[in-house]
Amino acid sequence: MTQQLSSKPFYGQRIEVRSVPDPIVKDCFAVFACRHKFCREVCPVYQDDRDESHTSYGFHSTLLAISQGIGSLEDVRDQVTNCLECGACELRCPNTLFAGDFYGASTTTVDLVRKVRRDLVAADIGFEKYEAIIEVIDKYLSYFTGPEEDLTRWAEGLNLPFTGETILFVDYFNAFETTVVARNAAKILSAAGVSYGILRHPGATLGELLDVDLDAFVEHARYNVNELVTAGAKRVILINPHDYTYFTRDYTAYLGELPFEVVYVTDVIDELITSGAITFEGASPLSGNVSYHDPCTLNKICGITESPRRIIRSLPGLNFVDVSPVAQWSYCCGKGSSSFKVLHPDTSYRIGARRLQAAADVGAERLVLACPHCEDQLTDVRARSGAPVEPIHVLALVAQAMGLE
Amino acid sequence: MTTTAVHAGLEGAIADLRQSIGSEFVLTEPYHRAIRSSSAAPFGVHLWQDTLPDLVVRPGSTADVIEIVRIANRWKVPIVPRGAGAGLADGAMPLRRGIVVDIKRMHDVLEIDDDNMTVTVQPGINMMELNKILRPLNVWFPDDPASYPVNVLGGRVGTGGWSLVGAGYGHIPNNVVSMEVVTPTGEVIRVGEGGARKIRKASTGYRMKELFIGHQGTLGIVTELTLDLSPRPEVEFPAFFAVRDWRDSWRLTQTLGKSGLKTISGIFQFDERKVDFLRRDDEAWIPLPDWVQGATGVICYGREAEVNAAKPIIFDLAKEAGATYLGQEMSEGDWASRHDRYHLAYHGRSGGKIKLMAWSIDDCAVQWSELPAVKKRWYEIADALVAKHPEHFDVWGMFMYTNNPFRPWGDHLTELDMGINELEMTPEIWADWIEAKTEIARTAVRHGGSVSACHGGTREGEVNVSCYEELAEGQFELMKKLKRLLDPENIMNPGKYNLDEAYEGDAR
Repeated sequence: MTQQLSSKPFYGQRIEVRSVPDPIVKDCFAVFACRHKFCREVCPVYQDDRDESHTSYGFHSTLLAISQGIGSLEDVRDQVTNCLECGACELRCPNTLFAGDFYGASTTTVDLVRKVRRDLVAADIGFEKYEAIIEVIDKYLSYFTGPEEDLTRWAEGLNLPFTGETILFVDYFNAFETTVVARNAAKILSAAGVSYGILRHPGATLGELLDVDLDAFVEHARYNVNELVTAGAKRVILINPHDYTYFTRDYTAYLGELPFEVVYVTDVIDELITSGAITFEGASPLSGNVSYHDPCTLNKICGITESPRRIIRSLPGLNFVDVSPVAQWSYCCGKGSSSFKVLHPDTSYRIGARRLQAAADVGAERLVLACPHCEDQLTDVRARSGAPVEPIHVLALVAQAMGLE
Repeated sequence: MTTTAVHAGLEGAIADLRQSIGSEFVLTEPYHRAIRSSSAAPFGVHLWQDTLPDLVVRPGSTADVIEIVRIANRWKVPIVPRGAGAGLADGAMPLRRGIVVDIKRMHDVLEIDDDNMTVTVQPGINMMELNKILRPLNVWFPDDPASYPVNVLGGRVGTGGWSLVGAGYGHIPNNVVSMEVVTPTGEVIRVGEGGARKIRKASTGYRMKELFIGHQGTLGIVTELTLDLSPRPEVEFPAFFAVRDWRDSWRLTQTLGKSGLKTISGIFQFDERKVDFLRRDDEAWIPLPDWVQGATGVICYGREAEVNAAKPIIFDLAKEAGATYLGQEMSEGDWASRHDRYHLAYHGRSGGKIKLMAWSIDDCAVQWSELPAVKKRWYEIADALVAKHPEHFDVWGMFMYTNNPFRPWGDHLTELDMGINELEMTPEIWADWIEAKTEIARTAVRHGGSVSACHGGTREGEVNVSCYEELAEGQFELMKKLKRLLDPENIMNPGKYNLDEAYEGDAR
């Protein structure tokens, strides 16, 4: 399971309009003092707008400046939205590289951005397009309070139980927007002989909620853990990598050690292929050149990079043109962890178009994905741009290779 | 020193800039200005208000830059060009407020001519990103400073940068073929070897290109660069050797430098206190036994056959010097981490405890023969400062790198690293720091060296030594005449290099 090297409880201290708590001043100074700004060229937003204000260095420096009487929290209403929360800057920061383990002082920009967004809300300042984020939250929370049967409609005809030692946790995005991802996951697990269930009434797992209402996020986290325990879960399979970060980093930070194992679906399928439970004999072989897009949350935040690649290599008939996970630190689909696309649709589109072009540049005809948000975003970008690369979820390829369609 | 300048024409300039460049690229919010009020040099956090620019403008084209310069002249508001802000001489730090011109939007590759081995780019492109684009052609732009992952070429030219592999491939001044520059009065000129864009050696006219390299933004803004490409090296071979006494490292450096091996692209020394520092808390450094009191690193680039031929000669020379090879893992690991080996705030110590400190370096150019004497005096100065202010300063040891372009002998970029506690700085302690910086710079000059090998001699504490001691034989006087000739309104980065003196007596 992913470990967070640097957990900073002092992020719980509020930044006021014109004052910054001392531990946060020091935290920001540690980035400002580096001054080498390796966080810059790796940032997908910076690659697009070339504005150093929208980098980890810029963000930490802004807060340090506020602590020195220059500007106020109100000034960051725009700046705080120009972050995909992808984590590239954290990995590229010399503090993380050289001070992460020994000093427990990794740079934690994503947590800080979320924290400042919450502080802006708490100070009744809000941030640019805050209302649009509230609309997103309201939409998804309405699923929680709406008809219970809607939450599992994606699984119609699959005859899945609501209990089990293994639970396939399906978030609202997969349950309502990218249902084929959830159905493919379920079909593959069933065909491999895995005994599992699903939750009848899962709670919300929203990055937007983490950004503006921590109490509500934790309330849903506690609810989800209780539901999973009640359902008998000893192992929970996630199919949204954003959820994987919440379960492994945020749930554990706010609720302590979880009473069950949390695994990502690609790790599970990789195990099933290795054990022989999944085979690709008999079905029509696949074909063509494919590359793989590392979802930011899996690659940059959780370090899951190998299982999707092993799965792709095991699929018959494909020519896999790989781009290393480190080279992909500077890539993103453009959608972000918390409605970046809602906040900055044009930037989001250009980042996505750049990603598809990078895939085309290595000769890929299809770009394999392991995240429903990436699939949703890049499918949209392809439709708008006419890019010659087709985005496709790895579960769709596995299901196809198994002859499950 | 900075002064709190007030510019009467500021509002008019902002209005004109918004009209000409577009409001979204004219930034007046405090955070945009605060972020661009420092470079990478030690920064008095307590003095932050003094270096805040009035606004930031982000041009997207040469035409934008021309317009900005003309508006600045019209309203008599100063301009401070800014590249990556990675310079260690405060070149991009505004001393008279005004307009910071952030060039990073201008980052296109305009032409790759691999027949004639040139690439033409805009000034805001980063070298690492450029080399990613060049890689499929099996060529590279061999500029490799420690700031390689972040620096941009406009800033490299503005500071006259140095490269880790300059002993093999030359430094920035050697690898810029020609440039388009917007002058302080808004004219566009091309400077090169003669007037041609892609000619490396010509005897036509004055050698004007040199004037527009290393001027710290006082003479114009580069808007296009034609650069000299090199074939990508087939192999790279780093080898690091430990010694029992730093003087053995010093001597080995000269032996290797004079060996005649053309594949040697750089040689580096770590002194005994640098080894101690790295041993103390740098996780990239594999722990070394106590007997190690210095190290020499050498990097070879080239075709596999020539590098393989050089290896046994290098090992023999090192063995004769009594040096011990540190092994492939450490050699390759250290070379691979060369860009990341920055000294973190967490590396600061006071009384054995962590004290957050920013990194400061002195980057003087010193002749090989003078290194022991300069080293001894520098440590006396630094140790005295730490003894007086143990909570505010820490000595982090010295590196010495080959400095001569295309030749690994002669002078060395000599780097004294220190930690400085900027967050708890006071005016009195800052004054002591400046005094120590002055003495360090003066020591280099008195030993026949230069205040700066790569970043510029413009920092507070060093600038007077640069202008009045190192450049005393008429150069500073000529600089002032040129400045006044090219920049009659003192628009470009006023205050830098004491060039305000060129305008003394003017009614302004």
